[in-house]
Amino acid sequence: MSALHGGKTVLITGARRGVGKLLRDHFLAQDARVIGFSRHADDANQIEGYTSLAVDVGDAESVAQGFAQVRKRFGAIDILVNNASVLTSQYALILPASSAEAMLSTNVLGSFLVAREAAKLMRKRKWGRIINISSMAARLQPAGDAVYAASKAAMEVLANVMAREFAPFNITCNTLGITAIETDMLAALPADKIDAIIAALPLPRKAVADDILNVIDFFASERSSYITAQTVYLGGVN
Amino acid sequence: MSKDRETQVLDMIYQALRTLNEERGPDEQIDIQLDTALFGKNSALDSLALVSVIVDIETVVSDHFERHISLTDDAAMSRDPVPFSSVMVLKNYILELVA
Repeated sequence: MSALHGGKTVLITGARRGVGKLLRDHFLAQDARVIGFSRHADDANQIEGYTSLAVDVGDAESVAQGFAQVRKRFGAIDILVNNASVLTSQYALILPASSAEAMLSTNVLGSFLVAREAAKLMRKRKWGRIINISSMAARLQPAGDAVYAASKAAMEVLANVMAREFAPFNITCNTLGITAIETDMLAALPADKIDAIIAALPLPRKAVADDILNVIDFFASERSSYITAQTVYLGGVN
Repeated sequence: MSKDRETQVLDMIYQALRTLNEERGPDEQIDIQLDTALFGKNSALDSLALVSVIVDIETVVSDHFERHISLTDDAAMSRDPVPFSSVMVLKNYILELVA
């Protein structure tokens, strides 16, 4: 049986750790060629099939330089997962502007810049899958996450509008809204707050890797060419 | 040297238009000349076709001259005439950008 993503070139932002690392290992296991964009150098560069490039997704010039490398070294991208994310959870009254700006820069502007450049490559081959990683915060809108939740909601809207614009090139754009999963980002949040949110979910547990990979595979599949501008939430969030 | 650069840029624009023609039907072919209008009422390009041409040219020019250029930023769109009024105007604008 052939590998699910064999022969595909996959770009994952924020591939160095957390969900991005999980996705990197999954696509590599499925015989894809994986490119990781991370702000800092990635010591996993020696993994066969994996190339890490130091790119700050919120910086247009850095993204342009990253894609110049991608064009030179790979020539194409089939699947993009916009996973890079910044989260500062704090009440709006005391949230510094610099923290708000960092979230908007990486989560919204970064997703836009990388999707725009990836779509330029995808349109040449008239095939592409763009998947944004959003969060349950966009729907549950918990106190302390005003800017983060807004940024994740913006990522969904970005995907929906780009889905219209990129449809003539056979590029789909979808969003996966994940619930809490054990990552560094989650560890930085108050456990009692996370537990309370999870307890209120229709499926009251944390996500595991396969919950995420299942939806990613669905969106990335050849068979999903008629699935675009959709957001799927895990755990019963709606 | 500057003539070489001028020829290179013109070739890049022509190639982008030839690529577009490859995707169009026989009765939709764009006549590729120096005075071919890319934008405005005399242009045969719809908005999607123009976007495709812009993206192709931006990419190839940026890669070739190793300098990221934008043909649709405020500086470009506030010019009169706009850089897309004809192939020649666009060529001259790109030459300014990569000078």
